[in-house]
Amino acid sequence: MKTIAVIFGGQSTEHDVSIVTALASVIKPLELTKKFHVEPVYIAKDGSWYWDKKLKDIKFYQSGEIEDYVKKAAKTHILFDNGLTLVKSSQFAGRKQYKKIDLVFPAMHGTHGEDGELMGILEMANVPYVGCNVPSSVIAMDKILAKQVTESAKIPSTPWTWFYSDELAHGSDKILKRINSLKYPLFVKPAHLGSSIGITRVTAKDQLMNALEVASHYDDKVIVEQGVENLVEATLPIMGNENPVPALLEEPLLKSEDFFDFETKYMQGGKKGTGKNAGAKASGSQGYSRIPADLPKDLYKAAEELGLNVYKSTGCRGIARVDMLVDTKAKKVMFNEINPLPGGLYAHNWNKAGISNVELVSKLIDYAEEAWQKKQKLATAFSTNYLKQF
Amino acid sequence: MMRIIDMYSFKYFVTIVYMLQTTEYQPIEFLKWYWRTNDFSRVMHRKQLERTKPAKLLLLILIIGSVLQIILGLLVVFLSPTTYGSIVGLAIILAYPAVWAHLIVIPLFFGRVFIINPKQKKLINESKHIFKEHTGIKIAIAGSYGKTSMKELLNTVLSPNKKVAMTPANKNVSISHAYFASKLKGDEDILLIEYGEGAPGDVPEFASITSPNMAIITGIAPAHLEKYPTLDDAAKDIFSLSQFVDSKDIYVNADSELALGYIASGQNRYDHKGVLGWKISDAKADITGTSFVMRKGKVVVKIKSGLLGLHNVGPLALCVALAHEFGLSKKQIEENIAKTKAFEHRMQPRPINGAWIIDDTYNGNIEGMKAGLGLLKSLKAKRKIYVTPGLVDQGVETENVHIEHGQAIAKAKPDRVILMDNSVTDFIKMGLDDAGYDNELQIIKDPLEFYTNIEHFLASGDIVLMQNDWTDNYN
Repeated sequence: MKTIAVIFGGQSTEHDVSIVTALASVIKPLELTKKFHVEPVYIAKDGSWYWDKKLKDIKFYQSGEIEDYVKKAAKTHILFDNGLTLVKSSQFAGRKQYKKIDLVFPAMHGTHGEDGELMGILEMANVPYVGCNVPSSVIAMDKILAKQVTESAKIPSTPWTWFYSDELAHGSDKILKRINSLKYPLFVKPAHLGSSIGITRVTAKDQLMNALEVASHYDDKVIVEQGVENLVEATLPIMGNENPVPALLEEPLLKSEDFFDFETKYMQGGKKGTGKNAGAKASGSQGYSRIPADLPKDLYKAAEELGLNVYKSTGCRGIARVDMLVDTKAKKVMFNEINPLPGGLYAHNWNKAGISNVELVSKLIDYAEEAWQKKQKLATAFSTNYLKQF
Repeated sequence: MMRIIDMYSFKYFVTIVYMLQTTEYQPIEFLKWYWRTNDFSRVMHRKQLERTKPAKLLLLILIIGSVLQIILGLLVVFLSPTTYGSIVGLAIILAYPAVWAHLIVIPLFFGRVFIINPKQKKLINESKHIFKEHTGIKIAIAGSYGKTSMKELLNTVLSPNKKVAMTPANKNVSISHAYFASKLKGDEDILLIEYGEGAPGDVPEFASITSPNMAIITGIAPAHLEKYPTLDDAAKDIFSLSQFVDSKDIYVNADSELALGYIASGQNRYDHKGVLGWKISDAKADITGTSFVMRKGKVVVKIKSGLLGLHNVGPLALCVALAHEFGLSKKQIEENIAKTKAFEHRMQPRPINGAWIIDDTYNGNIEGMKAGLGLLKSLKAKRKIYVTPGLVDQGVETENVHIEHGQAIAKAKPDRVILMDNSVTDFIKMGLDDAGYDNELQIIKDPLEFYTNIEHFLASGDIVLMQNDWTDNYN
């Protein structure tokens, strides 16, 4: 039986979302497959790693017991030994507990995890892992980089601009000049954060500075995008490596003047939308969307194609979710952003598409192993007499 | 080793009382279970002991008895001048878990013989008189399966317009009949009395007490064969109703193949084709229910019921026919039939994340299994999943019945079969292999974990048929 480490938590604003993803959508179904030993690896908010069976219990976090635990428990180290081994000091006689890991399932959201940093460690260890690799995670988690890469692949998106947060501190004139070329409403977003954190919808010039400051507070890069008229938002979960398959196009239920912030998405089950359908067809894990999206056939197909193009052009593998903006009058689909590890794996959507939670995690494991096997075929050594010259 | 150590923990006594409670304090059933149990730590898997008064009393007896035995053992160890005596003393001490698991049966036995049985006998005798004097129509409902459903159906169809009383839930033996009789007001139009045959002679005994003037036999299938020597004995016991009820007032489910050979001339048949001159047409079943049309002369009744499966057509038709005989109008019948819906855990459809689970976990006989599988085959779904642990109480027929079960599963062609790992799993697998089943087969080691996490195994468009469920005393 293979041992899978599920890594979650982390130094990110989406720390808590990551815990729920790991415990509910990854660990539980993985254990139900009866094919794997599952080892939970929790990264605390200070970046320390912990490995313990009791970390699988959601009550441990809800009750606040985790706070005491991280103060007392032995921290976990990782050992690169032609693979990845978890190492934990025992409380007794200086002994250490080791656990060789066969595959890693990252369940991290946001910075220091979903953005490629964790994937870098896993690549170094040469251990198979689920989901996007380093370059695709980096691209996907940087909204600016993602726009630049997809633009080069001729994938349309709404007009946009960006700046470094430091630039704002040194004067806003140049930034505002660039933004002036965009039409209101605008969306101001931190470049790297997910779950709608730090995003502001700006409808008038007098709101702009505040929005720029909020976004700069969260990130070193800020993107400003032009809003879309006659908007239908659509999101498409995709999985696979070279031949990715889409789930169902999902449509968040909100009016064009609304958008979902973190509170609405995760704390209120998506009830903020005031459109007449808001919440009426709630079916997602976050309870705010329509699956499949209510779009004409041609637009649905175009969105599906665009999603797959984005997935491929950014080099995604395993799983990701592509967000799109659809102008229903102009019949135009535009790329918005890409999420390399959707919250809860977007299992609710995969369920609708006919894939159960257990099948979903099993497929993702298969994709991870396939990608790793392929990587093993690449040469990593090259014999030279370079050293002998010294 | 751990298993033996477990026997010396307090939980062991709780487990013993739990086993007694689960077997309804039947000494033989309890002892059979006790003797075949290897690991007592795993017995209380699905449920826990309900700390009722009798349970607490038994627990107390076990503790006091064990303490006394340990003291006795210690006395023997310390007072005995020889090593042999010390060994005996030690043996007395170590034997207390096994000794008291058996001694606990004695108070139960005496309690039953000297207190419960005389009390029940008196109540049953009184009920005999009450039933005999009652002027309402007394309908006995017997059969190897489908009795409770038939009773509930008749109640749903008749009770809005008639005064109907019925034996509660699946309380269907003489003492339950007696409690039922003690609560009757005497002005009821119709009494529905379920007969739960469990051993030879049960049905004539029930009939002699309840004095039925009408009887429904819902079908014959292998059931309770631990006590009936053969299926024929069980069938004869059920059909002994003909000694108490006129043939013209007996209704037999002719869709039950095994019942056909026992139907005597003059007895009425009901099935998917009709009953009492009513003809059935246009029968359809889907996940929302069953519909059909009944015609008799110029009277046409359109039936739409929430019950799932074409096997319900016969019983529903009988309800319609009897309701008509009892004077209900066509409108009343149609309205009342529309109220019929699946009973809990009996072909009960439940939506879950876009999938449907048909909960048939109270189904415990092969005919019922086949009916459910027939429905599964007829339904349209993205993926069909069949879940079962198999059947219990099949006696010498266990192997044959489960091979037949496996064959029936294969015929329904589910995309995935999920079996609970137990003593009959291999027989079901043999049946599946015989019938050439080549789709996915999964064996579950921990049924409780599977059932409580079922949503993780399902996706939209799935239909799952879950048939039967084994309690902790079966494995």
